[in-house]
Amino acid sequence: MKHTVLVLGAGGYVGRKLMSALARCEDMQPTAGLHRSSAVTDYASVCFDATDQAELEKHISGFDVVVNCVGSDPTVMLHSTYALLRAAQASTPLIVHFSSMAVYGSSCGLVDEKAPLRGDTGAYANAKVETERFMASYARRVVLRPGCIYGPGSPAWSSRIARLLQARRLGDLGAAGDGIANLVHVDDVAAAVIAAIRQPQCEGEVFNLAMKNPPTWNDYFICFAKALGAVPVRRIGERTLKAESRIVAPFLKVCEIIGRKLPFSFDLPPFFSSALLSLFRQDITLVSDKAERALGLQWRNLEESLREVAAFEGRPG
Amino acid sequence: MISDARTLPDGTVIQADFCIVGAGAAGISLALGLSRSGYRIVLLEAGGEKEEAEAQALYEGRVVNPALHSPADSYRQRRFGGTTTIWGGRCVPFDPLDFEARPYVPHSGWPIGYEEIARYYPQANRLCEAGVFDYHSETAFTRPLKPMIPGFDQRHFTTDTLERFSCPTDFHVRYHEKLSAPNIQILLHANLTRIALSADGNRVTEVEARTLSGNSLSVKATCFVLCAGGLETVRLLLANRDVHGQGIGNLHDVVGRYYMCHIAGTMGGLRFSIPPESIWNGYDISDEGIYCRRRLALRPEVQRHEHVGSFVARLHHPRITDPSHGNGILSALYCAKPFISYEYAKRLFEDEPLSWQDWYRHLKNVALGVPDIMGFAWHMLRDRKLAARKFPSVIIKSRAGLYSLDFHAEQMPDPMSRVGLTHEKDRLGMQKIEIDWRYMSQDVHTVKRSLALLKQDIAESGVGSFDYDPQSVEKEMIRYGAYGGHHIGTVRMGTSPRTSVTNSDCRVHGVANLYLAGSGVFPTSSQANPTLTIVALSLRLADHLQSLDFSGT
Repeated sequence: MKHTVLVLGAGGYVGRKLMSALARCEDMQPTAGLHRSSAVTDYASVCFDATDQAELEKHISGFDVVVNCVGSDPTVMLHSTYALLRAAQASTPLIVHFSSMAVYGSSCGLVDEKAPLRGDTGAYANAKVETERFMASYARRVVLRPGCIYGPGSPAWSSRIARLLQARRLGDLGAAGDGIANLVHVDDVAAAVIAAIRQPQCEGEVFNLAMKNPPTWNDYFICFAKALGAVPVRRIGERTLKAESRIVAPFLKVCEIIGRKLPFSFDLPPFFSSALLSLFRQDITLVSDKAERALGLQWRNLEESLREVAAFEGRPG
Repeated sequence: MISDARTLPDGTVIQADFCIVGAGAAGISLALGLSRSGYRIVLLEAGGEKEEAEAQALYEGRVVNPALHSPADSYRQRRFGGTTTIWGGRCVPFDPLDFEARPYVPHSGWPIGYEEIARYYPQANRLCEAGVFDYHSETAFTRPLKPMIPGFDQRHFTTDTLERFSCPTDFHVRYHEKLSAPNIQILLHANLTRIALSADGNRVTEVEARTLSGNSLSVKATCFVLCAGGLETVRLLLANRDVHGQGIGNLHDVVGRYYMCHIAGTMGGLRFSIPPESIWNGYDISDEGIYCRRRLALRPEVQRHEHVGSFVARLHHPRITDPSHGNGILSALYCAKPFISYEYAKRLFEDEPLSWQDWYRHLKNVALGVPDIMGFAWHMLRDRKLAARKFPSVIIKSRAGLYSLDFHAEQMPDPMSRVGLTHEKDRLGMQKIEIDWRYMSQDVHTVKRSLALLKQDIAESGVGSFDYDPQSVEKEMIRYGAYGGHHIGTVRMGTSPRTSVTNSDCRVHGVANLYLAGSGVFPTSSQANPTLTIVALSLRLADHLQSLDFSGT
């Protein structure tokens, strides 16, 4: 018998990759839950507002599993999770909820699933903690806390980084890049969702998702730059980083806000905020042993994956 | 946690598992190596976060022959970061041959093999920010490199080995954040003044430190490691004579002996007959962005055959002080010498002041070379002054294919070359050091023979000629005295207390919990600059210390 799976947020990067992975499984029957009808997929889909409890109730009935990977806006995440939990009371599907390593906030060192949730690094992290708190009241749940999801086309951790590396605005950051890059390939994330659906004993569990022996951010940038052919890698000094986060980033953010109000669209160069710079320094290592054990995950090799990502970015890999 | 010892109440006693003395390349690497062990580490640093004249003055000492050795307070920094705050960044590993007992090198042979250090070189390379640990031009680069000297027959010398350059990384700035771990306590302005031994002399019970403000503190630890550099470590051992009458670990009068630097100089004239533009004497940048440079390295099998120490040479610009080079950039550098620090300007000074005719010729070179000087100034501003990874040195490409030879050779260990103490004391009542650096006829032989072989290789390859005066070799190799900043061998490791100060684990013979780290423990000097190997040895020591069982102590 097939698991009927509704993926909320199927128009996003993770959602799309997950739909594709689910569709390849003989025992899965996925449906894309989309916010906008413009986000067309090749799969069966339904279009509705995931923050509307009534709409949710109507659309999730009949599904065995709901995967919640709705957006990155903190308010939307909070409202949609709250609405989902209320809506799920009737049909009680399994909910695979996407949280994030952001819940650990500014924690350092080895961090497993039992570590306290701080959420002290901004609104996004705080919202993720809140959604987990909501989720704790629902028995049929699996919570996933992925690290930085990379893969071909990953906007945050692949495409943006590639553009910055090619522009030599990122590179070897010295002490500013000594933090740990808790990377996880998007295919491994999809594999985790599928394993969680297939294994009833995972209900009620929380899993960190990040590759074993993660590199430092400096190592990630250097390895990625080599795969992209963006060499020699530039050493970026503290002064330049300060200018990026204090001058360039605010300026581009303002441009982005203005750009949204304009009738036409334009492409802005990527930028990195001071929050991102803090992450590059953060010495936090996600311990994912539990996911390896319970979900049977084997992490993709970083170097090989980066060659694939570099090829996707259209540069020699 | 980083704090200032001057703010502690007088007589403060600190307990720790490890007490490290000196926050330079060795001490910081060791602390980083131990940082995740969970042990409590106290790191005593004599200086502050910046250079301070009164702290630096504590390094003053007497040099027996000032023509042969720079002042005791130069080329080393008494501050957080140590001499990494001013180093040039050249990273070169030792060769396997350097560790062997060579019959033609007196007192040679390490108690450990190359493999022992090689295990730690990759991590040391990372700490020094010199990229991947690959020092061979054929494998370190994914692209083919332009030959250094096309057609050069590498019979006695090879051009395939590299030197890699650190940023240069100031260990204080770079690892400040990592050293702020909760189990590490760094105390600045804490000058070690006393190493207290148990009555039987077999253990260090505590160390005492004083600040120039007058307060003192003591550290009681399970284990103590002196990482104060090849000169200061000698002072600390010799100045503590209350239990070991001749100084700690000095029962057989070995502490301070076998003092080596490197033998270096600029020699002769290389005139290439091949097109000048085909010669490459500059840097190649690796994919990771590291400046790398090839050099002419005397092959190990040739060293064995010729009974000489290790030797490398680089194609260099002519002697800057001599205006006959006709180069505006070099003359401009000469004129700018008052603005260049002592350590880097040493080769800009001659024994005799220049004549007014030479000054005139320098100024003429400058006037005629204005476009080149402007280009050079822009390059140095962009790629050195403002760059986070700095262009390592002045490279002048000769349009005429004329170069001098800049060489760097191993100095052989000689017990008569030594560091001791004077009767004069510093502000803290510590005896000052006396440096009596000497070289041997074998050192002259290494340079003479190597130069002769290079001359032969150049001539037989048909790429040009190398002319120099064999009679002036000794004069040229000591023109600037001992190579500055490389303080090697003074507390050498070995198997016997009669000929060494520490054992192969860097533990002082006869003292169960006192270790030494730094280039002082190297039994031989190699041609290689010492920092990379200092870091590698410190990381090895960190592993060793963590493997010890301290239960019950």
